[in-house]
Amino acid sequence: MIDWIALPLSYPFMQRALAVSVLVGAVCAVLSCYLVLKGWSLMGDAVSHAVLPGIVLAYVLSLPLAFGAFAAGLACAVFTGYLKENSRVKEDTVMGIVFSGMFAFGLVMFTKVDTDQHLSHILFGNVLGVTSGDLVETAVIAGLTLLAVLLRRRDLLLYCFDPNHARAIGLPVHFLHYGLLVLLSLTIVASLKAVGIILVIAMLVAPGATAYLLTDSFERMLIIAATVAIASSVLGTIISFYLDAATGACIVLVQAAVFAAAFLFAPKRGLLTGASGILQSNSRPRDEAI
Amino acid sequence: MISELLVSFSYDYMLKAMWVSTLVGAVCAFLSAYLMLKGWSLMGDALAHSIVPGVAGAYILGVPFAAGAFFAGVLAALSMALIKYRSRLREDAVIGLVFTSLFALGLLMASLWPTAVNIQTIALGNILAIADEDAYQVVLIAAISLAVLTLKWKDLMLAFFDEHHARSVGLNPAALKVLFFTLLSACTVAALQTVGACLVIAMVVTPGATAYLLTDRFGRLVILSVAIGAGTCFAGAYISYFLDGATGGVIVTLQSLLFLAAFYFAPKHGRLASRRRRLTAVEARP
Repeated sequence: MIDWIALPLSYPFMQRALAVSVLVGAVCAVLSCYLVLKGWSLMGDAVSHAVLPGIVLAYVLSLPLAFGAFAAGLACAVFTGYLKENSRVKEDTVMGIVFSGMFAFGLVMFTKVDTDQHLSHILFGNVLGVTSGDLVETAVIAGLTLLAVLLRRRDLLLYCFDPNHARAIGLPVHFLHYGLLVLLSLTIVASLKAVGIILVIAMLVAPGATAYLLTDSFERMLIIAATVAIASSVLGTIISFYLDAATGACIVLVQAAVFAAAFLFAPKRGLLTGASGILQSNSRPRDEAI
Repeated sequence: MISELLVSFSYDYMLKAMWVSTLVGAVCAFLSAYLMLKGWSLMGDALAHSIVPGVAGAYILGVPFAAGAFFAGVLAALSMALIKYRSRLREDAVIGLVFTSLFALGLLMASLWPTAVNIQTIALGNILAIADEDAYQVVLIAAISLAVLTLKWKDLMLAFFDEHHARSVGLNPAALKVLFFTLLSACTVAALQTVGACLVIAMVVTPGATAYLLTDRFGRLVILSVAIGAGTCFAGAYISYFLDGATGGVIVTLQSLLFLAAFYFAPKHGRLASRRRRLTAVEARP
C-alpha cells in the first residue's frame, strides 16, 4: 500500500502534478460550497468556457495568459448580467448564448493564431506537464482566492442564502456579488493548467454537493468539501499514473464516486440508509433542517 | 474572384459538410424556439456533454455512434431524475454534477483507447472530415426530427404553453414532453457531429433567442429561428473552408453576432428602440 503511493511520488513530475491538483481541488471545493447554496453551479460552466478567447487574445498581445483568462471570465459574467437586464430573454438562455459565443470566437481565433499552446491542454488540462513556474502561479492565485473567501466567509454565506437580509443589515451586496464572480474567475484561472476548462466545472460542483448531503452546518460543509476534494485529487492522480489515463478525468470520477457513495449511504438522508431510506423498515418523516 | 469564392462548392466533402450542417442547424433551431421559452436552455448543454462517453464507447466497440449516444443520454436523464427526486440539491447542481462526471468518463475512455476515439473531434466537432456512415446517421436523425416537428409543432406549442387548452382538445402533454425530449436528444447527437459537444448549446438556444427579439408570434418565431439556424450553418461551413477548419466555431460565432445585432437593432424589442421610446416619453412629458 505504501509502495503503491510512494512509487508515483518518486517522479518529480508526479510530485508537481499532485501538488497542483491538491491546491486546485481545495480552492474549487471551498468555492463549490457557496455555488451550490447560491444556485450558481452552472455559472462555473459559463465562466470557464468563456476564458478561451481571453487566453488566445492574451497570447496575441503577449500578456500573461492568466490575465487574459481572468478578464474574459469576468467579462462573460458581467455581459450576461447586462443582456439579461436589457432584454426579455431568460437568464439561462442569455448565459448559454454568451459563453458559447465567446468559446466559439476563441476557437476561431485559435485556428488563425500560431501559438505554442495546445488546444487540448487548455480544454482538458495537462497536469503531468506542469512546470515549477506553473506551480508557483497556481499556488499564488489559489492561495489568494482561498484567503479572500475564508476572510469573508460569513458575509458571503449570508449573501448566498438571503441577499435581502444581507442588504438589510448593511452588507455591501453588490461588492459581494462581484466579489464572488471575481473569486470564481480566479479559481478557474488557477485550475486551467491542472484540469482544463471543461473539467473544472465538475470540481466546482461535486465537493460542495457531496458535503451538502452530509451535514447541516456550513462550517462543517466547508471542511468536508475540502477533505473530499483533496483526497480525490491524491487518489485520482495516483490512479491515473497506474492506468496511464487522463489525470483530470480520474480526479473528477473519484469525486463523482464519493458523491454517489454519499448519495446512497449518507447517515441522515442517504437513499439506502437515510431516515426514509430503502433499508429503513419503519419510515419516519424526514427531518427538515436548513 | 468569383471562381475563388465558388471553389469550395467544387469539393464533395465541402458540399456534404455544407448541406449536412444546414439540415442540422435548421432542426436544432426549430427546437430552440421551445427550449428558450421554457427555460430549458442548459438542458441542451448538459445532454451534449453527457452523451460523450456513449459516443466514445460506440467508437471503441465499433457500433453506430447514435446508439451509444442514445444509451448515455438515457442514463444521464435517469440519474439526474433520481438524484433530483431523492436529495435536497438544487436542479442546477444536479445537472452540473451529472453531465461533468459523464464527460469525465468519456475523457477517461478516450485516454485509455486513444486510437479509437479522438476526444477533440467529439468536443469540437469536425464536419469537414465526417465519415460517410456518420453523415448518413446525422442526416437520417435530422430529417426524421424535422419531419416530426413540422407535423407536431402546434401540438407541442399548446402542450408547453397552454396545458389546460391542450388537455381540453384531447392532447396528452406528458407524452408530448417525452416526444420533445427524445427529439432534443436525437438532435443533440446530430449537432455533436457538426459543432461538437461544447457548442451544441448555441445551436439549440441562440437562433430561438434571436428570433424571440424580432417577433411576438410563435409561428413566425419558429420560421425565423429555422431560417437563422440553417443560414448560419450553411454560411459557417462555407466560411470555414477559407479558415481551414473550426466549422463549429464559425457557425456559433455567426449565430452570436446575429443575436447581438438583434439585441441592439430589433425594431420593437431592441436596445436602441427601447432607448428611443424612453427618450420620446421623457420629451412628451410636460
